[in-house]
Amino acid sequence: MTVIETRHVTKTFQLEKSKISVLEDVGFAVGKDEFVCLVGPSGCGKSTLLRIIAGLEHTDSGEVLFHGQPQTSPTPKITMIFQLFGLLPWKTALENVEVGLEVLGMKKEARVEIAKSYLKMVGLEGFENTYPHDLSGGMKQRVGIARALALQPEVLLMDEPFSSLDELTAKTLRLLVLDIWRNSSLPTNTFIMVSHNVEEAVFMADRVIVMSPRPGRIIGEVKVDFPRPRMRYLRDPVFFKYVDEALEILERGR
Amino acid sequence: MRRSRQAVALIAGLSVIVAAYWLVMNFVENPEISYLPYYTFRTLLRITLTLGVSVAWGVPFGILASTNKTASIILVPTIDLLQSVPILGYFPVIVLFFISLFHGSEIGIELSAMLLLFTSMAWAIFFGVLGAIKGIPVNIIEAAQSFGLTGFKYIRHVVIPAIVPALIFGATLAWCDGWFFMIAAEYVVYLGTTYSVPGLGSYLAKAAYIYNDLNLSVILLILITAIVLYLNFLTWHRLMERAGTGTYKPVVKIGLSGLGKLRVARARWLHLGDRIHRPKSLILASKWLKRYTRMEKAIAVLISLVAVFSVIYLIAGQIPSAEVFYQAFADPEFVNLPIYTALTLGRLGVAYAISLGIALGMGVLAAEHRKFAAIFYPIYDIGQAIPILALFPIFFVFLSRVFGGRLGLEITAIVILVLDMIWYMFLNVVGSVKSIPNEVKEVGRLLGFKGLKRITHIVIPEILPAIVTGSILSWGTGWNTIIFAEYMPYETDRFGGQPLALPGLGSYLDKTGYLPPPKGNPIRLLFLLGVIAAIVLLMEGLVWRRLLRKFEKYRVEV
Repeated sequence: MTVIETRHVTKTFQLEKSKISVLEDVGFAVGKDEFVCLVGPSGCGKSTLLRIIAGLEHTDSGEVLFHGQPQTSPTPKITMIFQLFGLLPWKTALENVEVGLEVLGMKKEARVEIAKSYLKMVGLEGFENTYPHDLSGGMKQRVGIARALALQPEVLLMDEPFSSLDELTAKTLRLLVLDIWRNSSLPTNTFIMVSHNVEEAVFMADRVIVMSPRPGRIIGEVKVDFPRPRMRYLRDPVFFKYVDEALEILERGR
Repeated sequence: MRRSRQAVALIAGLSVIVAAYWLVMNFVENPEISYLPYYTFRTLLRITLTLGVSVAWGVPFGILASTNKTASIILVPTIDLLQSVPILGYFPVIVLFFISLFHGSEIGIELSAMLLLFTSMAWAIFFGVLGAIKGIPVNIIEAAQSFGLTGFKYIRHVVIPAIVPALIFGATLAWCDGWFFMIAAEYVVYLGTTYSVPGLGSYLAKAAYIYNDLNLSVILLILITAIVLYLNFLTWHRLMERAGTGTYKPVVKIGLSGLGKLRVARARWLHLGDRIHRPKSLILASKWLKRYTRMEKAIAVLISLVAVFSVIYLIAGQIPSAEVFYQAFADPEFVNLPIYTALTLGRLGVAYAISLGIALGMGVLAAEHRKFAAIFYPIYDIGQAIPILALFPIFFVFLSRVFGGRLGLEITAIVILVLDMIWYMFLNVVGSVKSIPNEVKEVGRLLGFKGLKRITHIVIPEILPAIVTGSILSWGTGWNTIIFAEYMPYETDRFGGQPLALPGLGSYLDKTGYLPPPKGNPIRLLFLLGVIAAIVLLMEGLVWRRLLRKFEKYRVEV
């Protein structure tokens, strides 16, 4: 069942005098329970594409469908986690998770309880009243994940969520995200992640969609048909076969 | 292409101003109108000369204070204390000193005007130089040392290039300050006698108070504003643009494209390049507040006490001393001091609240909507170019005709204060709304914040630190303005031969400074100055510093 579909999405940015074409005729579909990664060179418009899906940007032409309906503005059903975490610095970890529920009009006690349970899920029990300033990068991203999940979205968008973290922390958080994805008690089951790290993409995704440099077009797709959990196959030649396949498409696109 | 367009703009601007002068001189009837170019020349000369002196003083002392520890311990706290006292508060002391030194001749007034302008300019340049040198990255210092750059060579190749942008920026601020204080410096009523030096400021004052000619005052004000705007575009903007490249950090970064862009604003805003994405004003202010150790502060207090007592000694030496001390606190008005303080604080508070409200609305709209920006930025450009104190006579002459003397002065004081305070707030609000990190904005939209809820949950918390720094600047300039605005010694004929004064700390200080004894009294003047300095420092310590410390908790580093 298709959850998200982009059709002929095209986007140009208007600079002072010149136009920059960012996305050109991008079309792909993501099904229920699927984990899809978008990889491409920096500046290829993959983050813009993610923001269009989230409803933060508009397309010039083409459309995004969510369960077959046009998706043009932000909805709690599709949430996002950010490269630089996007936490509100004047709110504590708990308040940061709460804030989305508050907008939905939930009562104080109910939303505190929910926020606490999600903070616990991401391993931040005891840090509820800490301000982002005092949290490490990895902990900040955990708050970001908890905040996104608290809205009980169907689709989780991730914009290079691990690229500003050190490798060890990134590894732990990748496993956390995969656990959440596989957790069938949560409604959040369709994941789209933007990355420029091909190994990360192959490690996490069912499908790796490869994009060309600007203007971004889809130039290939690698179906990662590889058993999970994949942790123990990280040194396996088969793993590198997929990585090389994706890298080759990237090279060709240049 | 761009250069030729600039040249066209410069020539066009100049011809407009020349044409305006020709029109004014031919069609306005006033006995002094033919002196207008001469007055312009004198004012320009005065401000330029003082700026030169300020730079000549500020650069070596800034370098000294930043490279020599002993000098820094003495200089920095002293100058910091001096700049926390409103300049117009100690102007009477300067006037007293120079008038008695030169027995009332014009050179005394000229020197006191220049000293007033100097004190308003020099601090900005000194601290600019100091900050720039302290901001030289460690790796550059180490590289210079390893290549054997020491002493004069070090200053020549590392320090001078580092301070040029800060110097230009500081000089811009100083230049604006110069115009701000021009009218107060050029036209003084001391012991019932009017002292003035030829200049645009004194001519404007005369037009309002002596000729009672509202049209001429307005025309002069427009001319002054046009000249300030023209010179800003001619010199400072281009200098700042050039200074933006080739330094260690993007110290000053401004985009010059068309009229009505927030040029000065952006330049001021970005003048501290910093990696942290929180509003830069916060960093600026907190650095400034944290700068001293307890030891340095103690020494500063000591030095200032010595300075105060030597001034007292100098002044008291000219008059029988015991009587002066007695008269200082025997004045019947002295018991009103608490009420006066409350009234003045009330005026400042009302004006602050009004300007905060308006600036917040205007700033948020201008930062987020191009349409409003297109309206508000030009208003800002012009608004901040008008020397506020020069607006005073015009508003007063107009409002006192409508509301009578006392109420007219009260309204004038508030209006002038608002116009004076609002631009600092506007500047900071626009700058900080614009620098809200993109991710925070996107999170707000993703979570569904809209309208007023978005303003209260996302925008206001994010810009609060900038509001605090804007407030510090607003109150600082407000004190100067209120000392000027509560007291009206010029048009005594219309108000029963007495200077018109609003009850308040500012007017009491003016009376103490400018009226003959026993009302005028140098000891009481110093005492009142001390009261104002104490209020300024208390507010800083109890209100602003606390708020900044609280916001520091939020500071996120990327």
